[in-house]
Amino acid sequence: MKDLEPTDQQMSEVKKNTYWKSLNELAQNKEYQKFTEREFPENASELTDGVSRRGFLRVMGASIALAGLAACRRPVQKILPYSNQPEDVVAGNPLYYATSMPFQGNLIGLVAENHEGRPTKLEGNSLHPASHGSTNIYNQAATLELYDPDRSRSPLRNGKGVSVEDFAEFASSHFSNTNQRIAFISEANSSPTYNGLKNEVLNKFNNASWVTYEPFGEDNAIEGTQIAFGQRVRTLYNFDNADVVLSLNDDFMGSNHPNGITYARQIAAKRRMNNTGDSMSRIYAVEDSYSPTGSFADHRLKLKASEIESFTYALASALSGRINGLNAFSGINNQFTDHHWISVLADELISNSGRSAISAGAEHKAEVHAAVGAINLALGNVGNTVSYLEVPHFNEQNNRQAFADVVEQMKTGNIDTVVLVGTNPVFTAPDDLGFEEALSNVSIVVNLSHYVDETARKSTWHINRAHFLETWGDGFSFNGARSVIQPQIQPLYNGLSEIEFLSTILTGNLDKGYNLVQNTFSGYYSSGFDARWRTILHDGIDTQDNFSAASVSLASSFEVTSASETESSGGIEVVIRPDPTLYDGRYANLGWLQELPDPMTKITWDNVALMSPNTAAALDVDNEDVVEINVNGKSVKIAAWIQPGHVDNSITLYTGYGREGIGRVANRYIDYTAGGVNTYPLRSTSAILYSNAEISKTGDAYEIACVQDHHSLEGRDMYRQATIDNYKENPAFATFKSVHGYDVPGMREAHELEKEAPVSLFREQEYPDNISYPEHEPQWGMAIDLNSCFGCGVCVIACQSENNIPVVGKKEVKRGREMHWIRNDRYFVGDNVDEPQAVHQPVPCMHCELAPCEEVCPVAATTHSEDGMNQMTYNRCIGTRYCANNCPYKVRRFNFFNYPKEYLTTGDDPDIIQMAMNPEVTIRFRGVMEKCTYCVQRVNRAKIEAKIETGSPKPADGTVQTACQQACPTEAITFGDLTDEDSVVSQAKSNDRNYQMLEELNTRPRTSYLAKITNPNPALALDINQE
Amino acid sequence: MSKYEYVPEPALVKGNHDFASLTRLVTDVNLRPTPKGWYLAMIGANSLLLVLLVAIGYLFWEGTGIWGLNNPVGWGWAIINFVWWVGIGHAGTLISAILFLFRQDWRTAINRFAEAMTIFAVMCALIFPGIHVGRIWVAYWMFPLPNQMDIWPNFNSPLLWDVFAVGTYFTVSFLFWYVGLVPDLATIRDRATDKFRKWTYGIFALGWTGSNRHWWNYEKSYMILAGLATPLVLSVHTIVSFDFAVSIIPGWHTTIFPPYFVAGAIFSGFAMVLTLMIVARKIYGMKDIMTDDHMEKMNIIILVTGSMVGFAYMMEFFIAWYSGVEYEKAIFLLRATGPYAWAYWTMMICNVVSPQFFWSKKLRRNVYFTFFISIVVNIGMWFERFVITVSSLATDYLPSSWDYYSPTIWDALTYIGTFGLFFTFFLLFLRFLPMVAVAEIKAVLPQADPHNYDDNDEYQAPEVEVPESQARFY
Amino acid sequence: MSTNNDHTDSLHGILAEFKNPKQLLDVASKMSKSGYHKFDTYSPFPIHGIDKAMNLKKSKLGWIVLICGLIGFTGAVAMMYYMLVIDYPMNIGGKPFFNAPAWVPVTFELTVLFSAFGAVIGMFVLNGLPKHHNPLFNITRFKKATDDGFFACIEAEDDMFDTDKVKKLFEDAGATHIEEVYE
Repeated sequence: MKDLEPTDQQMSEVKKNTYWKSLNELAQNKEYQKFTEREFPENASELTDGVSRRGFLRVMGASIALAGLAACRRPVQKILPYSNQPEDVVAGNPLYYATSMPFQGNLIGLVAENHEGRPTKLEGNSLHPASHGSTNIYNQAATLELYDPDRSRSPLRNGKGVSVEDFAEFASSHFSNTNQRIAFISEANSSPTYNGLKNEVLNKFNNASWVTYEPFGEDNAIEGTQIAFGQRVRTLYNFDNADVVLSLNDDFMGSNHPNGITYARQIAAKRRMNNTGDSMSRIYAVEDSYSPTGSFADHRLKLKASEIESFTYALASALSGRINGLNAFSGINNQFTDHHWISVLADELISNSGRSAISAGAEHKAEVHAAVGAINLALGNVGNTVSYLEVPHFNEQNNRQAFADVVEQMKTGNIDTVVLVGTNPVFTAPDDLGFEEALSNVSIVVNLSHYVDETARKSTWHINRAHFLETWGDGFSFNGARSVIQPQIQPLYNGLSEIEFLSTILTGNLDKGYNLVQNTFSGYYSSGFDARWRTILHDGIDTQDNFSAASVSLASSFEVTSASETESSGGIEVVIRPDPTLYDGRYANLGWLQELPDPMTKITWDNVALMSPNTAAALDVDNEDVVEINVNGKSVKIAAWIQPGHVDNSITLYTGYGREGIGRVANRYIDYTAGGVNTYPLRSTSAILYSNAEISKTGDAYEIACVQDHHSLEGRDMYRQATIDNYKENPAFATFKSVHGYDVPGMREAHELEKEAPVSLFREQEYPDNISYPEHEPQWGMAIDLNSCFGCGVCVIACQSENNIPVVGKKEVKRGREMHWIRNDRYFVGDNVDEPQAVHQPVPCMHCELAPCEEVCPVAATTHSEDGMNQMTYNRCIGTRYCANNCPYKVRRFNFFNYPKEYLTTGDDPDIIQMAMNPEVTIRFRGVMEKCTYCVQRVNRAKIEAKIETGSPKPADGTVQTACQQACPTEAITFGDLTDEDSVVSQAKSNDRNYQMLEELNTRPRTSYLAKITNPNPALALDINQE
Repeated sequence: MSKYEYVPEPALVKGNHDFASLTRLVTDVNLRPTPKGWYLAMIGANSLLLVLLVAIGYLFWEGTGIWGLNNPVGWGWAIINFVWWVGIGHAGTLISAILFLFRQDWRTAINRFAEAMTIFAVMCALIFPGIHVGRIWVAYWMFPLPNQMDIWPNFNSPLLWDVFAVGTYFTVSFLFWYVGLVPDLATIRDRATDKFRKWTYGIFALGWTGSNRHWWNYEKSYMILAGLATPLVLSVHTIVSFDFAVSIIPGWHTTIFPPYFVAGAIFSGFAMVLTLMIVARKIYGMKDIMTDDHMEKMNIIILVTGSMVGFAYMMEFFIAWYSGVEYEKAIFLLRATGPYAWAYWTMMICNVVSPQFFWSKKLRRNVYFTFFISIVVNIGMWFERFVITVSSLATDYLPSSWDYYSPTIWDALTYIGTFGLFFTFFLLFLRFLPMVAVAEIKAVLPQADPHNYDDNDEYQAPEVEVPESQARFY
Repeated sequence: MSTNNDHTDSLHGILAEFKNPKQLLDVASKMSKSGYHKFDTYSPFPIHGIDKAMNLKKSKLGWIVLICGLIGFTGAVAMMYYMLVIDYPMNIGGKPFFNAPAWVPVTFELTVLFSAFGAVIGMFVLNGLPKHHNPLFNITRFKKATDDGFFACIEAEDDMFDTDKVKKLFEDAGATHIEEVYE
């Protein structure tokens, strides 16, 4: 691997831009008022965490964990702790309960850490197939959503606050007329209780229609299977068996994929290299914009989204000659027929028949999915790497068509009542449908949503929705595991869950979700239900694999309907995708997600128009230049951003930004400072993914807060990788010596003295032969496997949630003051400038044994602990920032302002957001330094428990997990005791890929990296070289 | 005949002055009523001082965030200004101590003046370590005081060495200055006519009589102080440079820093003395004492130290290349060509090029040109500290962390404000204290030497002994 | 020459003024040669060679400074050793607790600081200063001592003191004025 020369055109241009941008910054030294001042009102009250918690308890009455004490209160709903059930709550000891989070209608099993009735942290449920103990960014941010002070706090009737009882009253009267024409527009929901109620509803109201509407989702995939196999089934991959994976513009590892956690875990497991003997799968990605999956692939081909279809057909027809079942494609001839990738892929797929998997991006046409299905079937992958599931709650109609029809009905005034459950079509519906206008033709609109959002404001009745951590629910995971959603707290704002809402509409009285869910589940178990119920709650999962695999065969009618010769349209096309951190916008008010850098661009707080360097040059735009994008009449103004590796003549836009009036975080500000741009207006039913556009430069500029200014490694060795062949030849390729050709300075002398580490001029406090590191203490260390990291950023959010890291706002991020303790560096490397490889490197504190930061602190505020951690004493810190300067890894973060106060004082009473804080971690105040602590609070809890049980403060391996490690879906991070040779981390560090960052500085980092291994196809590698 | 020509040392005091006229020339400034111009200058200085107080007040209220600092760049203008002021503060002690040990009598004309400047410059410098910390109200934790945390400062930290070095430097410079002042305060005491002056100057003169028994101990003490101050003045900037040199940041971690910081300090210090002297001697008509010869001698020192600094810049590049450390190499290339090149070349032109003009005797003796260069030099030295502090932090090891530092208005106001502090004190000094060491300058008059009197105790101007070979020139 | 005084204060000594440094130097050696001890000369600046003329002993100041310097040195080392090794040892960047090289600067600075205080305070103590009143200040003319006057004074406490002899000595030395100084 060679890095981009600083001299090369494209990249150096990117660099220059960054700097010139910064130089402009120099010009505008206007004293800026902090973003947070706008974010929160001035009359901010200063409640301490304690006060607000008490205030909350007073307001909310008995919380679940206090049920024992508060037994006199009604209703008592017993739930069971996940692990050991305590006789009573021991204050300060968190309890862990199993629950699940609905995400795009499917459940992800979680475990909630519950402090005195206050869920503060969500972890994955290792028993749950959609989680395996890890999470995605949305799971982590869910706690913040629960305590979001901007959530709707009461039902509204024509915008006026009313009580839930009023709604029940209205429901019983209004819905007594069972002949009215009702349209139910619902989000995707797998809950058996919910779907049961749905059926009751449809039975009761004989003129009712029910459509499931999601702005993004698997609708096209389902239609695809309908075309290919004549069945509406769900495509489920099993990458455990896939040696070759081809992604056709499908970011199946990314956080936005409903089954992303599982897929990422499978892919990473398939590529884990414990020694040179191991083999790994090979991943091909064909995509337009750079996605985490694309950056993880061994080979990546840039194609415009509009070309994917032709490419798929070309591949299919290439295969059709060599395997049966693809006759429909034979003879197809298009611009890709002779593309060198087609032949290479064909060979590869055929030689791996049954062990390959092809997937297509969810938003691509049904035809593409059909073709992919046909190919997978023909290759014999079905049953091995791909299976098709019969999902009971799938509708029998084409959801998007049905939605369009209903809107048409509304327009023509054929609908009396619309009930919107959890969706926000006014904001997200394709523009050409004119949903908002249609809604105005309907006399009664009832809406259930978390926020008083765009749709809620257009509704006659808005019901504030209860968060999934507040109420009972149930549902299925993506692959069909059934679980119960256990509430962790009484509803903060007396909201209704979707099942309570439906049953109120149905019955007119306010039924408790608890009963509804229990009824459903008691239906499954004729006998021994109570015991079973306990187990379900305890494990967080009932039964696996409730979706039976469909036996599929190519439909006799199957043919390539759409024009086989889909010429890629000339000109520039615009592609609209869900945002990698806000999805479709429903999470827009969560500061953690707004401030989480985009995995590929590292941009926070905004969406941009992503384009390739060439396209930018053609349009004569630079980063932060505002362009006007015009798609058949509709136009938006948005800042341009140059994304190396993006396909030319294509612009990628993310949705979810530009929200108005839904919350203090998401709101887009008139003075154009944050909040991004609403890109939905460019989306239409005909062009759901891409469409041609005219782009024009406006001449304005818009500041973008990007956490990484510089994208080239400058030929440095922080990131090390090799192809699998080179690795087998030279297993020690990652060591300093083989990278540089000479030893670390001081190592030769060390060899003579038979020492492990380079010699020093002084007698070090060195483990183990020193009083500073007593034998009885564990010695903590971390290893990060770069071969597993694909940059999703869940570690960042998990850390933020665990360690009470404040959100600082766009202005501060722009100033380079983001507070994340672990950051995810993303570099562009590679020989080929047009197709740079993107690599990800998570960087937490290295916990150096010879820590440069410690020596320079004048007040000894940062020192070394007996168990080898570099620790920060906040109370002692006076904030000279010398330690941060002297940290070669730049992992220390400084509280330039009183961030926690601005972050935690919203002016509400009680300050509910403060309940999201972890009571075991200090809130840092203005003027002190902070940094990654290896989650010292978890470490010490484990040490104390170990001491009590075994007498030794060395916890068993695996009992301590850092937040980032626990959340990581690919298990890239391992952490543990280095004094135990058998510990996972010791094993990882003994791997020959193990290397230390900046080893030559002799800082002796306790955090080390395992170099990345790629598995390129020699045939394709050859081709690239020939180019 | 030899080709060498004998050039007698120029007289240290021009014009035919005797002891009394010198006394009058210097001390009348303090005794005559305050001129209007002084009040105007004082108003200017005070308003700048007010700016400083406001800037610090707002900093205290809001936090370090009002400055332009960010994640890689934890130190900005505050530290730059600190180093810059301390550097300026080197000339005084150097002149009074080192030149004293070298028996350079010409120092007597400017040492009082320079020492005063030193003390006020160091005061300005001392502000910054105090206020640049995140929690100003606990900055005193840097001192080894018993406290409720039962924890002591970390004596391994260069920042702590700084506290001791600059603190000691300030104290010793002040003592040195005061000891020199005592006989002159006695002079003013004895010349003062009004009770108030008699009384106040009397207090600070400590009852000095001019007894030669006292002079005996006094000279001894002065000599010892000079002997102590000499290594001290060299140590101060050495230790300040340790703030950088002891760290591991590329461009900081280098052994050349101590000598080159000291050279730079003397460089900027002399420039500042010249800037002030040229103005003061004009206003107060001290041209007889602070002569063009003094100016020329100082210009030569500026030329020498300037060239030393220039040499150090070259050396840095050579060492970076010679070390073979890629990060060292990168940082120096980045300084010259990267985002901060503009600052780097400003520094080069001001510090390396501008002093070279002083090779010409004509320019060395040109008051206006000297004044101009003296200011250019201090601009250059400020940029030197900027380049060192900021560029190394902004682009260090991990490219991912590289970020651009740009100051805010508050950085600028704080810096400008320190001039308010400096000039406020300097004006007070000019008004109330003798700006020339009267006793010392009397001692270097030829009349002060008993050997210059004939047997009738009449003054005989000293003969210039000319070597035989050149006798005919005289 | 005003010797007619009617006040009854005790005589402090006799003060004489001289034209220039040379005369002062001569009278100084005269006084010491004639065996006077409690005498002194006053000049606006130290006069080269007058120490020999008055045969003054070597100043003790050097010793004072040396002692102070040693106190500073040992004090500094002791303080740091107590704080970082005995009282609260901490593992700071893996450095040894007794990190001698890092302690050099502070030790040096404190040594210099203490020495400087010794040099200044010692000097004033040796000179018996501060002393706000001095009988000589009763003599208006003595103000010139800090301007351009050169004075010699023999104190009445001297064993050999005799008003006439002293005046005679001063006259012979060419004093321009001679005055009796009273407490």
